[in-house]
Amino acid sequence: MTSFAKTFRATYLPAEAEAFRAEIKEFLKEWTAKRPPHRRARSWQGFDREFSLALGAKGWLGLTIPKQYGGGDRSFFHRFVLVEELLAAGAPVAAHWIADRQSAPLLLHYGTQEQREKLIPAICRGEAFYCIGMSEPNSGSDLASVRSRAVPDGDGPDGGGWVLNGQKIWTTYAHESDYMIALVRTSGEPDDRQKGLSQILIDLKAPGVTVRPIEDLTGEAHFNEVFFEDVRLPADALIGQEGNGWAQVNAELAFERSGPERIYSSIVLLDIWADFLARRAGANPAAEVALGRLLARMAALREMSVAITGRLVEGESPVLEAALIKELGTTMEQDTPVEIARLIGDDPDEVVDPELLRTLAYVMQVSPAYSLRGGTREILRGMIARGLGLR
Amino acid sequence: MIELDDIFLDSFTGLLDTVSDHGAIRAVEAGGSTAAIWEAVQESGFVDALLPEDDGGAGFDTATVVPLVNAAGERLLPVAFAQTMVARMLAARAGAELGVDGAVTLWPLSEEGTLRSQVAPAAWEAGHALVQQGHQFTVRPLVVGKQRDGFGYIPAELDMGAEPLASFTLDGVDLLDWASAITALLIAGACNKVLAMTIDYLNERKQFGRALSKFQAIQHNCAVMAEHAVIAATAARIGFTADDGNLSTLRVAMARSVTFDAAAQISALAHAGFAAIGITEEYDLQLYVRALKRWQISFGSDSFWARKLGQARIAGTYDTSADFIRDRLAPEPVA
Ligand SMILES: Cc1cc2nc3c(=O)[nH]c(=O)nc-3n(C[C@H](O)[C@H](O)[C@H](O)COP(=O)(O)OP(=O)(O)OC[C@H]3O[C@@H](n4cnc5c(N)ncnc54)[C@H](O)[C@@H]3O)c2cc1C
Repeated sequence: MTSFAKTFRATYLPAEAEAFRAEIKEFLKEWTAKRPPHRRARSWQGFDREFSLALGAKGWLGLTIPKQYGGGDRSFFHRFVLVEELLAAGAPVAAHWIADRQSAPLLLHYGTQEQREKLIPAICRGEAFYCIGMSEPNSGSDLASVRSRAVPDGDGPDGGGWVLNGQKIWTTYAHESDYMIALVRTSGEPDDRQKGLSQILIDLKAPGVTVRPIEDLTGEAHFNEVFFEDVRLPADALIGQEGNGWAQVNAELAFERSGPERIYSSIVLLDIWADFLARRAGANPAAEVALGRLLARMAALREMSVAITGRLVEGESPVLEAALIKELGTTMEQDTPVEIARLIGDDPDEVVDPELLRTLAYVMQVSPAYSLRGGTREILRGMIARGLGLR
Repeated sequence: MIELDDIFLDSFTGLLDTVSDHGAIRAVEAGGSTAAIWEAVQESGFVDALLPEDDGGAGFDTATVVPLVNAAGERLLPVAFAQTMVARMLAARAGAELGVDGAVTLWPLSEEGTLRSQVAPAAWEAGHALVQQGHQFTVRPLVVGKQRDGFGYIPAELDMGAEPLASFTLDGVDLLDWASAITALLIAGACNKVLAMTIDYLNERKQFGRALSKFQAIQHNCAVMAEHAVIAATAARIGFTADDGNLSTLRVAMARSVTFDAAAQISALAHAGFAAIGITEEYDLQLYVRALKRWQISFGSDSFWARKLGQARIAGTYDTSADFIRDRLAPEPVA
């Protein structure tokens, strides 16, 4: 526990990162004015190619990536401020989200010089969108059991290369993406589990790739099934080391779990509810209490997230603490629509702003996914328990 | 901010481990004296940590002493260590003397002159109180209440007949904030301890031929406890940051709301883990859960504090709650 105290010690956003905030707010004004709250509540599911291009033009994609690859060469603190502002405003970040948050850092870390030079600059311009191919129909939490398989292709155009067969599922925005980075088996057998898995880059326009959208419970289609039938991939499709995919994926997921995105998924709803309460201040003490309780948790979590960012800046990789934040954060995000629903019907005779109701309906329905995507609540609790010395 | 040296902290926690072990706490609860415990704490010099150097103190800011107050909560230190630290600092700020060397607890009064807490401080924690009504501060002797409260603690009462030992005025200081912020830190400390005790117990105790800690349901409960312990520690730390010498009521509110939940969840899950043995008087878990539950409703409970936050949010003209949090709740860097 002392180590937790050290990780979460007082950490402040440096002045130069704070100074960045005003510029972001100014930029976002126009974009958020165009989108009603129930659209902004899509949070990091809101897809808008134009918006991503505009961010790229600003130099705000790949913010922590070195200049030589087209990045912003700024600190994780700057990135925290940017992401915080984007999410708080409900900006449509989905198009570039995976590429910016996971793929570019992954390529920077494990890619060859050639791969970096070829792939990262386009990500930073907002011109190349990526998706993550981890889950398969029979491999969810038990990711090491993936069966999609790439075998070395002796007949490849460059003498190397791979032939890929298999299937991925739940792939967010595969139908709008240019590339998938997938975890597949490249050697050994399913019984070898983590051994023999690799990360490979798949051009989704390659022959043999079929992407089929899956409608979600609100009737929208953001995730997909992706089928691979004898898909031929070049030798440099391999990212990192053959057989090292498991370790790479876990490093990637640590990134996934530590940012402000695990705090702000319901913030657009919270804020239009706060506006609604402001118009009838004092009329509903129970609602003011509930709002305060959610804000208290959000504020403490934000402090924890800033602290984690500080540790990233110092070169640490606090994987366990990131899991802790994600669990606490998604729980708070999920409690938000529950509390608002509990209180909004306190007077059935009252007319409630239809936009608030629509936003509430959306968040009530999608919030269960907050604690599924990127590893379920149960899996995270298992990780935390291991960190506590219980497993 | 000055970070407390590990050596200092270790010497303080080492001291607490000797003077405030479970036996000592039980003896105090049974009616024994806290004089020796106070003497040891007083001699350590840490009680003057917040006092300016010119007044013979260490001149630390509140953020620096957070680990000390956490440690006091972790060990259920039965004397008003943190409260005395604050009382001495406030008296010095007013250019006054407290007029007592012993422990001084904090006693915010309402306009009507009643203690702003449904639960009174324990009689054993201090012989005197710093009493606030409006901007008027007095130091008054405490007397031992006649009846134990529902938690088994002997409450203190203000001795209204006695002359105040000291009297001074201070503007812009809310003793309710200070008493509450300390309560939050004590809760966070005790939560940490209960988590550690629970993990130890579950690693030891076997059922079905294996340690209970090998069962997934148990592991998940511990994970949830750890989450609450961590968020409570963070919230309580922010609650005790003073930008210009004063606490922020809203940060205290945040700390009290978060630590209320943590205390509730951690006691419940600890009880689940210890099962029947945890319900006994003989087993030491009860010392902590009783303290935690009592603190939950000391100096205002969750709804009192949370409402302040909700009201401030809707009274402000913030575009987003992130703006509100940054502006009103995030601590400023301390020089
Ligand atoms: C909105 C959304 C977007 C997604 N986007 C992507 C994406 O872009 N790319 C991608 O690869 N995946 C994506 N996923 C998939 C996500 O990663 C999986 O849903 C998740 O890993 C769980 O797998 P599963 O759904 O097969 O559930 P299962 O693994 O079948 O789990 C079902 C239940 O059993 C529990 N469980 C499983 N194993 C254990 C265990 N050992 N102990 C205790 N409980 C256990 C789980 O916690 C869960 O409660 C997305 C999911 C959602 C909901």
